[in-house]
Amino acid sequence: MEKTLKKIQKKIHSRISPQIEVTVENNCIVLRGELDDWDQIVSAGHLAVNKKFYGVINDIKLKGFKPSIKAPNIKDKLYDGLKPDVLVVGAGIVGCATARELARYKLDVMVLDKDYDVAMAASSRNDGDIHVGIDLMPNMKKFQYNVRGNAMYDKLSEELDADFHRTGHIILFRKKWERYFIYPLIKLKARFLKIPGVKYMKREDLIKIETGLPSWASGGAFMPTGGEISPYKFTVAFAENAAQNGVKFCFNTIVEDMTVQDGEIKAVQTNRGTIYPRVVINCAGVFADVIAEMAGDRTFTIHPRKGTNLILDKKCRSYAATSMNKSPFTKLDGDKEIGKRGKHTKGGGVVHTVDGNVLVGPTAVETPYREDNTTDKESIDAIMKNMSRVAEKMTYGDIITYFSGTRAPTYEEDFVIRKGIFTKNIVQAAGIQSPGLTAAPAIAEDVAKWAAEIIGDVQPNKSFNSIRKAPPRLVDMSLEERNKLIQKNPDYGEIICRCEEVSKGEILDALNSPIPVYSLDAIKRRVRPGMGRCQGGFCSPLVMKILAEHKGVGIEDIPKANEMSFVLYGDTKGDSKDE
Amino acid sequence: MNRYDVVVIGGGPAGVAAADAADKQGASVFLIEREARLGGILKQCIHDGFGLIRFKEKLSGPEYVERYIDMLKETKVEYVTLTFVCDIQKIDEKYILSLVNRKGISQIEAKTIVLATGCRERTAKQVFIQGTRPAGVFTAGTAQYHVNILGKMPAKKCVILGSGDIGLIMARRLTLEGAEVEGVYEIKPSPSGLTRNIAQCLNDYDIPLYLSHTVTRVFGEDRLEAVEVAKVDEKMCPIKGTERVIKCDALILSVGLIPENEVADSLDIPLDWRTKGAIVDQTLMTMRDGIFSCGNALHVNDLVDYVSEGAEIAGENAALYSQKKRALIDIEIDNRFLYIVPQKIDINAPIDKIKVYFRSKDDLDDVNLSVYIDNRKFRTKRFSHLRPPEMESMLFNLANENLSEQSKIKFCIEDRK
Amino acid sequence: MKELVCIVCPNGCRLQVSQKGEEFEVMGAKCPKGKEYAINEMTDPRRSIATTVRTIFKECPVLPVRTKGDIPKDKIFALMEIINKIVIDKKIKRGDVILPNVLDSGVDVIATSSMLQNGR
Repeated sequence: MEKTLKKIQKKIHSRISPQIEVTVENNCIVLRGELDDWDQIVSAGHLAVNKKFYGVINDIKLKGFKPSIKAPNIKDKLYDGLKPDVLVVGAGIVGCATARELARYKLDVMVLDKDYDVAMAASSRNDGDIHVGIDLMPNMKKFQYNVRGNAMYDKLSEELDADFHRTGHIILFRKKWERYFIYPLIKLKARFLKIPGVKYMKREDLIKIETGLPSWASGGAFMPTGGEISPYKFTVAFAENAAQNGVKFCFNTIVEDMTVQDGEIKAVQTNRGTIYPRVVINCAGVFADVIAEMAGDRTFTIHPRKGTNLILDKKCRSYAATSMNKSPFTKLDGDKEIGKRGKHTKGGGVVHTVDGNVLVGPTAVETPYREDNTTDKESIDAIMKNMSRVAEKMTYGDIITYFSGTRAPTYEEDFVIRKGIFTKNIVQAAGIQSPGLTAAPAIAEDVAKWAAEIIGDVQPNKSFNSIRKAPPRLVDMSLEERNKLIQKNPDYGEIICRCEEVSKGEILDALNSPIPVYSLDAIKRRVRPGMGRCQGGFCSPLVMKILAEHKGVGIEDIPKANEMSFVLYGDTKGDSKDE
Repeated sequence: MNRYDVVVIGGGPAGVAAADAADKQGASVFLIEREARLGGILKQCIHDGFGLIRFKEKLSGPEYVERYIDMLKETKVEYVTLTFVCDIQKIDEKYILSLVNRKGISQIEAKTIVLATGCRERTAKQVFIQGTRPAGVFTAGTAQYHVNILGKMPAKKCVILGSGDIGLIMARRLTLEGAEVEGVYEIKPSPSGLTRNIAQCLNDYDIPLYLSHTVTRVFGEDRLEAVEVAKVDEKMCPIKGTERVIKCDALILSVGLIPENEVADSLDIPLDWRTKGAIVDQTLMTMRDGIFSCGNALHVNDLVDYVSEGAEIAGENAALYSQKKRALIDIEIDNRFLYIVPQKIDINAPIDKIKVYFRSKDDLDDVNLSVYIDNRKFRTKRFSHLRPPEMESMLFNLANENLSEQSKIKFCIEDRK
Repeated sequence: MKELVCIVCPNGCRLQVSQKGEEFEVMGAKCPKGKEYAINEMTDPRRSIATTVRTIFKECPVLPVRTKGDIPKDKIFALMEIINKIVIDKKIKRGDVILPNVLDSGVDVIATSSMLQNGR
């Protein structure tokens, strides 16, 4: 151990800075000091990785940088004194899938999220790929959970009434030799990883599956287990099914601190009161290390990695039928100019989403900002430059929107899925990055089971209902079916969003769901008004009106996203209450 | 299933005028509107200045369109509101339209269809605004809806990006309602809106107009808190070092209108890349027999008076449609035009009163518009100035020009020396 | 000499006005209305104003109105203040006078929509 530490010290001191303090504490490599370059800090973290230790705690500070967290501006005692069996921190896809698994037991479960809705961070800011896992190593947790998770999505899609399209993923080859040198490596790895169905397809055959095949592609590796979901709709589905089965969702609630005694979490302090859970499950995404630290069980560090994706108009749906990208060894024109923003990204490429758009991206950039969802011209240009070689017809005019998000990797670049090491009543589901979406349902199974084990003697919930119904999507139905539904409920016949053809009835369904959220963006994620090419220009006032009427408030009380993101002031004519 | 000679999609000023004109020709007409009231965008255009050509009066938008709606109600035209066309199929020589409304799905049969679906606004993402995604970023039309229809304030202190007419109108409107408009920023070196709107909407209220400027970034996690503006170079790229951050609570965008052609797309109707609307002949029939296009769905007009005029041409010709085979020749234009409508002439249809609408690509002073038929100068008209925001039109008679399918018609803009 | 943009019609003629004693000379106008506008602009600038008034009706919270003619430019905000205090409680129609002879200008403020009568 001592020798390994010396080795790590030497590497970091020579390659990064001799000022960095490198120690071992609780069997973790701990880095301390201050640097003025974030990339150097990240490099130091990566250099410190060694299997002999639990993980890297990289506490090197960035000069002049103050870490911050977007906290809700509510302070009350709403949840004060509650004693749930399990407290899930974070309502992303892992948290929500875990909540649903916990609902299979007779347990009192609470899910906290500091934001106003589920899927507010990485779970709504990714490309929706359900990964094959071909790029992973079998000893990684990422791989194991990916394989299990991938296989679960068919059934989940049926139970939760959420779209999953197993379109297959394609790795494209350019030169003929790539078939004989790259493909056999892929095939070998597929056999080794037990990924079924991987096969080489020549251009003539591949184009029947992938209509958007670029002109240079001579063929490709077709991997039939790949697919796509809508990440936020699936998260909503998990959450709603959990809520249906008695799980309590608490939004705008942030964990501020924990009381830990004798290796046990005794209390969790939030902005809405102190909660006394028997077990805590950490699904806190980019803040998972902060939560682990509070719980006295930190063995890892999250270093946010930002990504940007573009969404194209539905007119461009023919650009991709699957999810495809060039093989990492395939050389294309312009490779040299495409900087690091185009690299470091596994999935993605050009993706046909389950909602019928084409999504292009993502980029991958290390950042000290855990919640940096801003977009910038450089990233968009980089994606266009890189990906217009795969989606050859793509132009800037096709883009209807774009978004950014941050992944939550550890320096080990693997998931941290385990019971507490130093604290007995915590379960970690941390370090979630790609393929976290694919892995989520499998991770959920394990962490829920472990939570139950920690509590001990937990009975199964006999009344658990695994079936959840989504609002009907009328535009996808036959005219006869659609007519029948409208006869039953005329609101389904009133089209509110013309681009995506969403009816008033579908919006009301989202409001009558187990987790209603009265904001434009929440409704947009659930039933899509405003997702189309006008981006809500026409329908946003109408949607606000429906929300206001349903809630019994004024239209100015309906925000875009959280409560602080108000859209309208009061009345024109110099509203008295406003002055 | 009910059958109609003419089905008009869209109940704004274009659709209503087209329906009215078709009815006058004795056709059976059905009009479909997706909103609760007829009138289209004019319902929210409460400012005056409409109808100067049509009615020789300065009317507000609602007044103008309600006059047409009143006329429509005197005709035999049937119309439905809150009804959406969800499918169109061509079967033999007829079109079957599937409609959805609160009563369910119904179908009607049409001999001809007039597309009067209007236009939509370009959004923040389509002009590549970067930064956060806060509340408080509105297109001018959406802001106008909030103020004029709902009576709610979307801003207290705002920046307007783009000098399109709705943006200018909203600058004045918000000022009248007590908001502060910090300035209007236009990426181009000349304004996009009508000159008189610069005068009466900005100058009257001391609102500055910054040409060759754009908004490069927005700030604010929840509600907009500030925007960054910068000067741009000749290529419209922001110039480093000229950035300025302006504190404001709203960004209003008036950065262009795009014809709505989702229905046209579903019918595979060829569009003109210049207008983003359908390619039509002088009867305003698209390249699909029996389907006509008019109003802002065909090309974005600056005056509703022209919309009505064009819609009447479309409605009338839809009513008179006879399934006769067309003989089309192209109207060619030189590169000083932004666009011309129609793009084609059907010499089997009447050619004695052809009305063309056009815009120049740049500001031009003292030029001639010349029409050549087979390289022979057929007609010349002088224009003391041509400006892209100001559409011009010309009427001419080609009946005596012995046109054949081989004829070449070319429009040129020439300097007068 | 003063440069003006005529706002009477969409042509937006650029006018040059110069004062010769009591008389004004106007250049650049395509029609007599432009000349009239220019002279008014120099002596008594006026504008028409379009805005909305509040109503008591939930489906139409505001009703569009305008001045039926031009009012002095410096009275625009005074007019807005008066208009903003009005609440329509009857289902009036397009053209109905809401404020007669507002601010003694000889100009009426009229409703410009019949939406209250025709329903939504």
